[in-house]
Amino acid sequence: MILGLLFFLFIFLIPIAGECLSLYQQGEQALAMGNLAKAKHIFYKIPPFVNKQKNPDFLKARLLLARLYYNQKKYNLAQKECLTILKYFPNHKETKSLLHEIQNLNQPVIIQFFKDTYKYLPALLKGTLMTLILVLFTMLVSPFGGLLIALGRISRFYPLSSLCWCIIWLFRGTPLLLQLFFIYYGLPALGITLKPLTAAFLGLGLNYSAYLAEIIRAGIQSIDAGQMEAALALGMTYSQAMRRIIIPQTYKRIIPPIANEFIALIKDTALVSTIAMVELMRSADQLFNTYFDVKILILAGLIYLILTSIFTLIFEKVERKVGAYEQK
Amino acid sequence: MNKNNSPLLELKNIHKKFGKVIAIKNVNLKLYSGEKLCIIGPSGSGKSTLLRTINFLETIDQGQIFFQGKEVGYVYKKGKRILDKAKNISTLRAEIGMVFQHFHLFPHMTVLENVMEGPRTVQKKSKDEAKQIALDMLSKVGLLNKKDVYPVCLSGGQKQRVAIARALAMKPKLMLFDEPTSALDPELVGEVFEAIKKLAEEGMTMIIVTHQMGFAKEMADRVIFMENGEIIAQAQSKEFFSSSNMPKRIQSFLNKILE
Repeated sequence: MILGLLFFLFIFLIPIAGECLSLYQQGEQALAMGNLAKAKHIFYKIPPFVNKQKNPDFLKARLLLARLYYNQKKYNLAQKECLTILKYFPNHKETKSLLHEIQNLNQPVIIQFFKDTYKYLPALLKGTLMTLILVLFTMLVSPFGGLLIALGRISRFYPLSSLCWCIIWLFRGTPLLLQLFFIYYGLPALGITLKPLTAAFLGLGLNYSAYLAEIIRAGIQSIDAGQMEAALALGMTYSQAMRRIIIPQTYKRIIPPIANEFIALIKDTALVSTIAMVELMRSADQLFNTYFDVKILILAGLIYLILTSIFTLIFEKVERKVGAYEQK
Repeated sequence: MNKNNSPLLELKNIHKKFGKVIAIKNVNLKLYSGEKLCIIGPSGSGKSTLLRTINFLETIDQGQIFFQGKEVGYVYKKGKRILDKAKNISTLRAEIGMVFQHFHLFPHMTVLENVMEGPRTVQKKSKDEAKQIALDMLSKVGLLNKKDVYPVCLSGGQKQRVAIARALAMKPKLMLFDEPTSALDPELVGEVFEAIKKLAEEGMTMIIVTHQMGFAKEMADRVIFMENGEIIAQAQSKEFFSSSNMPKRIQSFLNKILE
């Protein structure tokens, strides 16, 4: 009984579906020949319902018309087609966004900008969060890495100082992009496979430790030798003197150049987008490839500017605080 | 003075070179507990270097240093002389206070923290105990009212008095003064001298390198004259400055300085 019904439906539906498809194809052919009026005439014959079911060809045809009108700047006609589609397919996203765009055209630029911003912002902010995680991690880790390398570099134990020299030489002398590629794409060849986040942490951490090491070394060596002598004369060991006397005095001197490096770091995190990390740059890139809207790039630029501004302010405050003892 | 006991500090046959330049040549010296010794001489004569070898801020190429009857700074292994462990040298330094020409206060610490630093970090004293010692020492040099300021706010004389307090806080057995007033304006010299004099009256053993003859005359039990890294004369203070018995070189030096 049921099988019979299905068979009947099948026999009955095929010709109608076939006929509609051919209507759509005929319309397309007419368009291909540049005859819009004829195409419209044919498309209008396609019914919205076939056998009480929504007809996808109706949607395709009308949306095609709407797009054509939109491109020809016949916005009223385009809007009419959109509204017709939405009458039968009220939840169709593409149509909605097209209609939205048409309606936006009549709004002031500012409002349009804010509406688009609202549309892009969630994805961009998600990327910003990842950028922040990368930045904060590197800011926390690299000063310690840098200090270790710097102390090794000024050590009188030759193997250690030359090892540290080599680390600095290697990481300062090659592009960060190359280092990231090597860690993420190159190490698997040696049997070490890292997750993108681990690879990004490792690459940024090592690179920035090497850069900070030289700043910290310069800071330590800029402290008057008398300070070390006074500390030693009190009976301190070398490490006590370093920890209590020398290193605290370097803060004021090394914070400006370190802040400089950290500002560069915020921008350098964009490089990890090349090793499958979705941070701010990558999010912007993905959005741009979808919408081809230059506003996305401007927004990403603004977010980078906000980040660098905030960190600049923080560093200035810290610098003033650690140098307070030099003010009369 | 009690010369029957062994000396607090003894230098035997000290030699020191900086590259090819001879800084100290064959110096022998005995210092007894409670003695005040002044070292004078023209600049570049090795006075400061000699002082700095005593607490191993400079290593020596030859010779022996005895502190409280024990040889310090070097150990002998299979007939070879090698520098002692850093830890032992630090222990020695903790017993010898040093005051520098340029003060070398720790600029990132307040006056009180400067003076507390030795007892806290080196002697591992509790914060309260270290603070009590520091306050005592600061009142001794008359700077209790400056305890919470940073060194940048002090005059040169005040800085040097804090430096003295910082060294004293370690309760040293010997104090070394390396030209303590040479970097000071003339009107500030007096207050530092007063602080050192007070210390001398309490019986502190000290070696002072100075260019101030008046001070040497007043303070010292004994005066050493150095030139070209050698001790070329030493005498009791009174004898030394009553000039007539002294070699010509010293007389001309003293005349030049006292002019």
